[in-house]
Amino acid sequence: MTTGSSTGRHRLAYLPYLIPGLLLFTGVIGVPFLMNTGTSFTEWAGVGTPTWVGLDNYRELATDGEFWASFRHNALVIVGMAILPTMIGLVLASVLTDLIDRHFGPRAASALRACIYLPQVLPIVIAGIVWSWLLAPENGAVNVLLGAIGLGSLAHDWLGDPATALWSVMGVMVWIQIGFPLVIFMSGLQRVDPSLYEAAEIDGASWAQRFWYVTIPQIRPEIFVVLLWTTIAALKAFPHIFVLTRGGPGGATNVPSYYSYVHFFEKTDVGYGSAIATVLTLTVIALTIVFLRLQGRELGEER
Amino acid sequence: MIKRVTGAALLAVLAAGSQTLVACGRSDNGEPGGKELRVWHYEAPESGMGVAWNEAIKEFEATHPGVKVKLELKGFEQIQKTAPMIVNSNSAPDVMEYNKGNATAGLLSKQGLLEEITPEVKKRGWDKLLSPSVQVVAKYDDKGIMGGDKWYGVPTYAEYLQVYYNKDLFKKHDVQVPTTFDEFTKVLDAFVAKGITPLANGGAEYMAQQYVYQLALDKADEPWVNAFQRYTGKTDFTDPAWTYAATTFADWVTKGYIAKSSVSTKGEDAGVAFMSGKFPMMFSGNWWFGRVAKEAKFDWDTFVWPGAKMTLGSGGNLWVVPKGSKNKQLAYDFIDITLQKKIQNILGNAGGVPVAADSSAITEPRAKKLVDGFNTFAQSNGLAYYPDWPAPGFYDQWVSQTQKLMNGDSPQSVLSGLQKTYDSGLPK
Repeated sequence: MTTGSSTGRHRLAYLPYLIPGLLLFTGVIGVPFLMNTGTSFTEWAGVGTPTWVGLDNYRELATDGEFWASFRHNALVIVGMAILPTMIGLVLASVLTDLIDRHFGPRAASALRACIYLPQVLPIVIAGIVWSWLLAPENGAVNVLLGAIGLGSLAHDWLGDPATALWSVMGVMVWIQIGFPLVIFMSGLQRVDPSLYEAAEIDGASWAQRFWYVTIPQIRPEIFVVLLWTTIAALKAFPHIFVLTRGGPGGATNVPSYYSYVHFFEKTDVGYGSAIATVLTLTVIALTIVFLRLQGRELGEER
Repeated sequence: MIKRVTGAALLAVLAAGSQTLVACGRSDNGEPGGKELRVWHYEAPESGMGVAWNEAIKEFEATHPGVKVKLELKGFEQIQKTAPMIVNSNSAPDVMEYNKGNATAGLLSKQGLLEEITPEVKKRGWDKLLSPSVQVVAKYDDKGIMGGDKWYGVPTYAEYLQVYYNKDLFKKHDVQVPTTFDEFTKVLDAFVAKGITPLANGGAEYMAQQYVYQLALDKADEPWVNAFQRYTGKTDFTDPAWTYAATTFADWVTKGYIAKSSVSTKGEDAGVAFMSGKFPMMFSGNWWFGRVAKEAKFDWDTFVWPGAKMTLGSGGNLWVVPKGSKNKQLAYDFIDITLQKKIQNILGNAGGVPVAADSSAITEPRAKKLVDGFNTFAQSNGLAYYPDWPAPGFYDQWVSQTQKLMNGDSPQSVLSGLQKTYDSGLPK
């Protein structure tokens, strides 16, 4: 009895330490989210008194082709910001740890890691502006380079053609994003017992086999974290679109976060913008729960 | 996550930011006894307006001993996006440059956030200085629609579009300045025949839509403009003027008058390309005038759109006095100074379009031509405003639809997209 109560007290002892975080969460995320959800049931120009319209904004959203198109674009953005960088980051981390580090030393591996991480340090807006110059139809470096190597016929208005605009934006996203998974995976690989690789090598495993049977299973928790983090970032992708295309050409690169911004600040239709933001937030929360569950199940099985 | 909560969160953060500004403003102000006039605007210091208003500040301080002007330079978008919150807070400046039009000044006037200055306008005679077509953007009705009966702002400059041309390229290719639309088309053909794209364009921003609107204006009249801009009648995007405009613009892209590769080009880049001598012509506003004069390395001049009886243009953005201004009388004094002939002449000679200048005092030849061109349109009610004004968010829709037009979508589908946004933005 005494033991139980003291254990209970012991268990509750950490609660005061959660208060600052809870207060911050309530003030910065909880209350604004509830306010945003409340606004989504109104028609409001951002000033004056909001008019209650119930579920009208959501009904309109359900039939809004541009909104659904923006979500479809977001699926490709997830490929560009989460899936491809994770895959490339995995391969690069393995190459840097398993090959470069072992054959050329940790300094060479660190230098290469820093180079690949560099785009992460640049503000996205700056990176976006630089890429919009590189991809410019007239005198942009990409088209000039294609011309210089005899492939001038491929020169293109990369961001102006609906067939290539989203792919071009995705290319920029991959370039910006790779550094993040790389550093996480490399640090994950630090804790992998080198004897595993040695044993595999003695058994005659090729690099590809070591990558598949040692690297990936060993850093599965990191892969989950990276995928979760980058997928949420992809759903929130805004500055890339704002700087590079502003949703164009003709809505071809529109994503929900930008679409929401347009309704907030361009159309002064704050109620509708809030509805988009609410749907997006709920999507992010749902996705996070799914990821965490999958991760929990995965780790549970391992134990 | 924080970003995604967006909306209300952003508004809340901005509101909190404005409260901080309030605190700063109070401590800066010391006592609110009219010791400081807080002015916000977004004109570049080297522009005609920037030069003239700096002079006005000096004049104001000289004529109001003990009062200091605290000028804060903002960005156009910064004021466009945050004005409702700023004006609705205690941190509102005393006088602020604000965007004209139904979705901006009109919206705030309807919400009661701007001071109605009609008595002051009459008392100081500002209504006598401004031509009726310039006044339209300063006056709003109870629904916030421009051209109403109550003054909520005062423009001290104006703007309109004209064709900037590279005289050196015209001379080199033996091309004459066109005076009719047919001659204009022949000039365009002549450049295309030489492998030169004749018109600079930026499809990712305002330029493409302004070509389309000008083409529509070539087939339109004043009631058509009023119906479109001021809802005095029904606007039908399948009418002959809009159909001609969209079809002709698409045709111009096909013929190479406008580069298809300019879909993703921004206005700034198009202007820079013109100033670097890449394109012989650029159809754009007098806001480029000062920069072209400073940066173009070739001989250049301007002409109005050949054959146009109406063109894009209006009174400039407005001086408004927020309801929360603590020094309204000082604000009116300052506006009054910016309308004085001396300041207006400085504005004109620095490449702006003054609204109350002494035209004989504008001595720079190209500036004089610019002002004379404007006066001609203003006096014949030929200022047709801008295509994105009638509906909130219409600007983005115009960008999107003209990009589609350049990428080969049919004029009918593009016009139908515009109709949808226009109709949904009509005042309820």
